[in-house]
Amino acid sequence: MPDADPRTHEAPPRATDAHDAFDPHVYKDADVVAGLQAKIASLADEIGRPVKLMHICGTHEHEMGRFALRDLIPESVEVLAGPGCPVCVCDNEYINLAIQLSQRPDTIVTSFGDMLAVPGSIPLEGERRGDVRMSLLDARAQGGDVRTVYSVFDAATLAKENPDKEVVFFSVGFETTVVAVAAMLKRGAPDNLSIIEANYYTPPATNLLPTLDGFDIEGFILPGHAVTITGLRVYEHLPEQGIACAAGGFEPADVLVSIVALLEQIRDGTPRIDNPYNRLVKYDGNEKAKRELDEVFEIAPIRWRGIAEIPASGYKLRPAYRHYSATDRFAGHLEAVDLAGAEHPKGCRCAEVTLGQIRPDECGVFGKLCTPDAPYGPCMVSHEGTCRAWYLFGMGKEKIHVEVA
Amino acid sequence: MSKSPDDAPTAGTPTADAPASSEGTGTAGRSRYGSVRLAHGSGGKLSLELIQELFVAEFGNAPLAELTDAAVLENRPGRLTFCTDSHTVTPTFFPGGDIGRLAVAGTVNDLAVMGATPAYLTAAFLLEEGYDMAELERVVRSMKATADEAGVAIVAGDTKVLERGKGDGLFVNTAGVGFLPDDVRMGAGEIRPGDKILVNGTLGDHGIAVMSRREGLDIGVELESDVAPLTDLIARVRDVAPNVRFMRDVTRGGLAAVGNEIVLDRPWGLRIFDVAVPIHDVVEDVSEMLGIDPLLAANEGKVLMVVPPDEADAALGAMKAHPHGREAAIIGDIVKEPAGTPIVETAYGSRRILEMPIEEQLPRIC
Repeated sequence: MPDADPRTHEAPPRATDAHDAFDPHVYKDADVVAGLQAKIASLADEIGRPVKLMHICGTHEHEMGRFALRDLIPESVEVLAGPGCPVCVCDNEYINLAIQLSQRPDTIVTSFGDMLAVPGSIPLEGERRGDVRMSLLDARAQGGDVRTVYSVFDAATLAKENPDKEVVFFSVGFETTVVAVAAMLKRGAPDNLSIIEANYYTPPATNLLPTLDGFDIEGFILPGHAVTITGLRVYEHLPEQGIACAAGGFEPADVLVSIVALLEQIRDGTPRIDNPYNRLVKYDGNEKAKRELDEVFEIAPIRWRGIAEIPASGYKLRPAYRHYSATDRFAGHLEAVDLAGAEHPKGCRCAEVTLGQIRPDECGVFGKLCTPDAPYGPCMVSHEGTCRAWYLFGMGKEKIHVEVA
Repeated sequence: MSKSPDDAPTAGTPTADAPASSEGTGTAGRSRYGSVRLAHGSGGKLSLELIQELFVAEFGNAPLAELTDAAVLENRPGRLTFCTDSHTVTPTFFPGGDIGRLAVAGTVNDLAVMGATPAYLTAAFLLEEGYDMAELERVVRSMKATADEAGVAIVAGDTKVLERGKGDGLFVNTAGVGFLPDDVRMGAGEIRPGDKILVNGTLGDHGIAVMSRREGLDIGVELESDVAPLTDLIARVRDVAPNVRFMRDVTRGGLAAVGNEIVLDRPWGLRIFDVAVPIHDVVEDVSEMLGIDPLLAANEGKVLMVVPPDEADAALGAMKAHPHGREAAIIGDIVKEPAGTPIVETAYGSRRILEMPIEEQLPRIC
């Protein structure tokens, strides 16, 4: 369904033009991708100067790596990864809290697999690798009851099955995950369930980027999953500042078609918000989800790890739901953790990577002291982390050259 | 095939014609207990009963039935090949197999991919007190069926019972010996640029089938694990492709782990063509949904072979003619550059590194 809002623009050629829109395989189709690749090359020629674009979603970076999409784009068009990894920006405060709670008797701490591996700022005693801090996995190895769940609903089930225990759901994520928490709490959750509110709202962080020194990004690929919930209107401040925008899906053709949309806007000098991902994204998002979200959560300032406290960029439980807040329920009873030290371990440049200020391979510890099997910073831990994707998929300045025999 | 004495019709079961005595108490293959007791691992009466009524009765071969401290076995020509593997899987029974089939096939395949003919296995059981006896019996019967399929005999064993809460139901260790003909020369050192890479079918079936069952995912169709002993398939391929350079069973860590292991510090690299890799639609869909990569998912009945280019088509034909190889494919080649690195070439001609698996695959957040 085309979007009704006149400000949206469908960038031709759309991947759906010649195919059944409900066949997901078309978005991986080699001919469709080749057509978009040619279109990007000709737009880059027309523009005739280097252009920097940015996506702000960990899944985008993962797909860029998995399909080696940067290979398909001319050198003059650079696509950078921005603050799109929820686990990477999750502040130490929440990780430390989760670790401490896991060490309480009769308490089960649950979260997504990725979150369990990210170190906070509590030192890991007896570790031989240097400045290594504790993650929830370390807490589990030391006897804490820490479990992987796939959603908050799993945590609620666990709470019902364990009425004598406190079950804590470490709710890290952007709009997409917090909406599930809202839906669950609104329908009634067990009293022994509580939530660590590490929920981040993306638009204010993208707002911050143009204010940074040396900012030279001309277009944003907006995060397809998050804007399914929030819609695109909340990003209108970007075109107002002259920055091109397009909602980006996650299949190879989705990513490339959003790059086509951005390059067209840049060529024509007409920044706006295009919606080539309109098979899922509506200009005003998912009204029902937004309504439920707004009933349960309110927008509040939150710290983005290593970056800053950004106003109005987090979700906090509203007063009627605060009895589900793990911070409120437990924080007063826990030993204070010193948060004054460095937010990232020594030498780790995750904050700059997260803001797209440096490429991962420009960090001094990347691939040397910091690898996925012995990660220093969160960007190397998470599957959505930029450093991890670059390391595992071999992304870098040089394309991979093959000599057959 | 008939050139090798190891491939005689009774391969691996020299004692199969000497079934176990069934003089023990109770009904063969059935314990009078409904669940495992600590005493079943004590070395006393209940231990003996379990061994005779279940293991000897089911595994049925003379060396085991002797109940000696060690099995005395016939030697055979070739170099002795020896390996061991421990098994734990949740759930114990999964679509397409169970821990027993897994434990036998895993060890058999480790021997077979060396070019050896698997012959004898041992089986050690670590049981948790209270473990359901009927389940144990099913596991044992499944081990026997798989051993027969692979042409091996389970000739020695051990049982220990852990106090309730100190084990996870059932762990099975198997060790195996095989005989490697003196003229077999295979190994990563034999690989040359230009060689072709083959697999005997769809990748990721086991990992996704087990994960779907474990997580209670309703994936709409019954996806089965590929767990199978590959002795026969490998023998048939080697009949028509005698110069196979290298074989490795593709298990935990999937194709990605094998790809990384074999190129490490080698003066050549490996290139996989993304679109050539056979993957079930449902495996692809579930992987997309969970945010995991089927190239990293586990298999239990797959072998990767590196074959000289002039034997690749024959090897592929032999695989496809076998029940465990119907969806076999040539999925890539050995390249000169980049050396020491496995790469994937996508349908679009773009290239990336075939990532080394780091830890258990977990679904991504968004």
